[in-house]
Amino acid sequence: MALPIYVATGFLDSGKTTFLNNLLNRGDWHDVKMLVLQFESGDEEFHSRHENCQSASFSKKDLEQRPEQIVESIRRELEAGEFDEIWIEWNGVAPFSQLQALLLHPKLHSLATLKRVIHIADGKNLESLLGRTGGALPEQIANSDFAVVRNVHYPDDFKRVKRLLSGINPGIAVYEFNASNDLYKQIFAKRANPVSFFILTLILAVELYFVARPALEGFKIPFNTIVNVFLGILLQAVPFLLIGVLLSSFIQIFIPQRAIESRFPKSLGLGMLAAIIGGFCLPVCDCASIPIFRSLVRKGIPLPVAVTFMAAAPIINPVVILSTYYAFTGNMTVVVGRVALGIIVSVATGLAFALWPSKKPPLSGGALDRLMCGCGCYEDAESITSFSGKAGLFIRHSQAEFFSVGKYLVIGTFIASIFQVIGTGAFRSAQSGAGLAFSIIIMMVMAFALSLCSSSDAVIARSFSNQFPLAAIMGFLVFGPIMDIKNAMMLSSGFSKSFIAKLLLASFIASFAAVFLISAFGGF
Amino acid sequence: MQARAFNPQIFLELLCFLAFAALMLFLVLSGKYLSYVTPRMEPYLWFSAIVMALWAFIGLGRLFRPQHKLRSSHCFVLAVPILLLVLPHSPLSTADLSGSLIGGSAISGLSSGASGSLNSSVSAAAAKTEAPAAVIVENADAATEAPAAEVKLSNSNASYGSTDGYANDLPGLDVQGKKITVPDDYFGAWISEICMNMNLYEGYTVVMTGFVFKDPTMLKEDEFVPARLMMSCCVADLSPAGLLCKYDKVSELEAESWVTVEGTLFIGKYEFDGQFYDDPQISVTKITPAQAIEAYSYPF
Repeated sequence: MALPIYVATGFLDSGKTTFLNNLLNRGDWHDVKMLVLQFESGDEEFHSRHENCQSASFSKKDLEQRPEQIVESIRRELEAGEFDEIWIEWNGVAPFSQLQALLLHPKLHSLATLKRVIHIADGKNLESLLGRTGGALPEQIANSDFAVVRNVHYPDDFKRVKRLLSGINPGIAVYEFNASNDLYKQIFAKRANPVSFFILTLILAVELYFVARPALEGFKIPFNTIVNVFLGILLQAVPFLLIGVLLSSFIQIFIPQRAIESRFPKSLGLGMLAAIIGGFCLPVCDCASIPIFRSLVRKGIPLPVAVTFMAAAPIINPVVILSTYYAFTGNMTVVVGRVALGIIVSVATGLAFALWPSKKPPLSGGALDRLMCGCGCYEDAESITSFSGKAGLFIRHSQAEFFSVGKYLVIGTFIASIFQVIGTGAFRSAQSGAGLAFSIIIMMVMAFALSLCSSSDAVIARSFSNQFPLAAIMGFLVFGPIMDIKNAMMLSSGFSKSFIAKLLLASFIASFAAVFLISAFGGF
Repeated sequence: MQARAFNPQIFLELLCFLAFAALMLFLVLSGKYLSYVTPRMEPYLWFSAIVMALWAFIGLGRLFRPQHKLRSSHCFVLAVPILLLVLPHSPLSTADLSGSLIGGSAISGLSSGASGSLNSSVSAAAAKTEAPAAVIVENADAATEAPAAEVKLSNSNASYGSTDGYANDLPGLDVQGKKITVPDDYFGAWISEICMNMNLYEGYTVVMTGFVFKDPTMLKEDEFVPARLMMSCCVADLSPAGLLCKYDKVSELEAESWVTVEGTLFIGKYEFDGQFYDDPQISVTKITPAQAIEAYSYPF
């Protein structure tokens, strides 16, 4: 049977050797025979206390120049001695794929298999290392089963490191260096195969579908209608999401940061003008503008300007203008009003971010997010120069972004379709006898809950125009594209909660104030 | 040296991309996508299918790249829609929408049907049913005050291209006989056209087929709408739409039954927000039973 291989990864001086010294010299392991392979020689050396560990070390130079020899000598070690386990201390600056290449070598492949990868991180300097040490470190983190963190003394530090790590390896389990019992369980716990997990879940979902359907219909919940509405919204949103992630990845990969920084207007006013013109030129709905927004922020466009773009693009572009025109059968008050209000509100929302800048970074991955996309492509977009290399990165990046934003699109659409099927009656009944301000708020809340695509919300708005005053309809038409459940969900794939909350608040207040003031002065 | 080992995660992604692309192709080629979205989405669905197929094709190159930490949950983004599309469900019918007569569903609500009881606001909901006569439709201002702009925009939309003011590329128009026989496939387009240019068609004889839509809370006793379910963007906005008909014997008509209506178009009045607007209506001369039409209609 193939021997299990356990790997400890981590940057230089992160404490890999200390970790192995502590772990492998445990008293109750003294009769487990281990082969320890070190690909790095740090300040601390590996000592075997119970003489059950045999160790060998290889230099980085060997690794690069004579990998075949390393494979051969490992094979000889394995054949000479009888081992129960293999432990590897991997080099901190060598890519993990290099280790996989060694282990999958035909000579070793049948003798041993990779079981667990543990990442050791130093909480003090992880963030600064990630910012400037290239692709090997994030690649190691992404490939690890769980992580062990050293030098974190406060719960806040631990949380921060955990957030960093799960930005690269979502859902990774993180342990403190001395939480040894949890750790041992992790090392030897049986791991579910994610692919069989996926298939099992699918089968379960199919069964659930057939069981839940009659049950829900028994409770007078129109299951069939919800499914139809869900699919309708989704089929409409997916193509636009695809356009969005392709454009956003294009910006991310092909447009160098320098070009944006040098060409983009420095002043806030010109920047916002550019944002609005850009918004007009991009015929996209909100599903597409959010990924683009994210990559603009990553590329260093000032936040107020990027926010203005994100808010304006789904309201003022030609497709939306045309669909509004049709839905309201050519009522120019609505069409012009929507465009004008869209511009006013998006500039106001952008200004809110200029006037009250927040101290925390808007991107949830912190400064890191600017350098890496967390999509499994750790090569720095700026360092790859060949076109085919960039094209490959472009494809992978757009796929990763599709999955990460799409997840929230599916959840948001699901919530919205339930709202659409059973929720609107409540809004309608709330309207009876409401004042103007309250009507505007009802319609804005409804826009938030229904999460319609901005290229199709005008028709829905039209259907409410019999019960709601025009100002409330305008609130619906302006606020909905900027913010709704679906958008908030999609934003949370890359932005911090406090940023989303602030954006929600700013755009809500701006929309309400603009609509209310204009209607108070007899605009509608 | 580059190691090779089968990568189940890439394989799974590849399967999802392929399945999604195939489903999009199937929906477009079979026309089944029309139960969810409007014909305008067809090129976008083609686009999605092509992008997904390309992604799958390019994924082939990574199929044998080793990967220690495997993930699968992101694939649910595609698996969920694929499953729901494949698992049995029926397109929404008149009954889903109007089982308890339109309740809150004339346009967006869709609530009635199985959940009629959920509509607490019967009066409010019913008021909205005014929409079918007027949905996509009725803005009188634009039609009367800015006819020039109207025609120009219609032209730019290609499907209404008209040189003499008539939408002469919509089938069913007989200018000499002053008659419009609305073909079933052009129901929505004709409703839009008539409402946009109602002055042009005043006095025409109109023949159209729809189901009888009656609602005592908003329509008068001698009024009904021969309606079709109209989808403006996607199935979420499915709603009955049609022209309001004046007919003495409305009580003899069975609600939800399909009829072909023949009558004369006149410009009636429609009250909205305390003001009266022009509204194209039909004074019925003949009603014959008709076959139910499965398909939805689309305004443009």
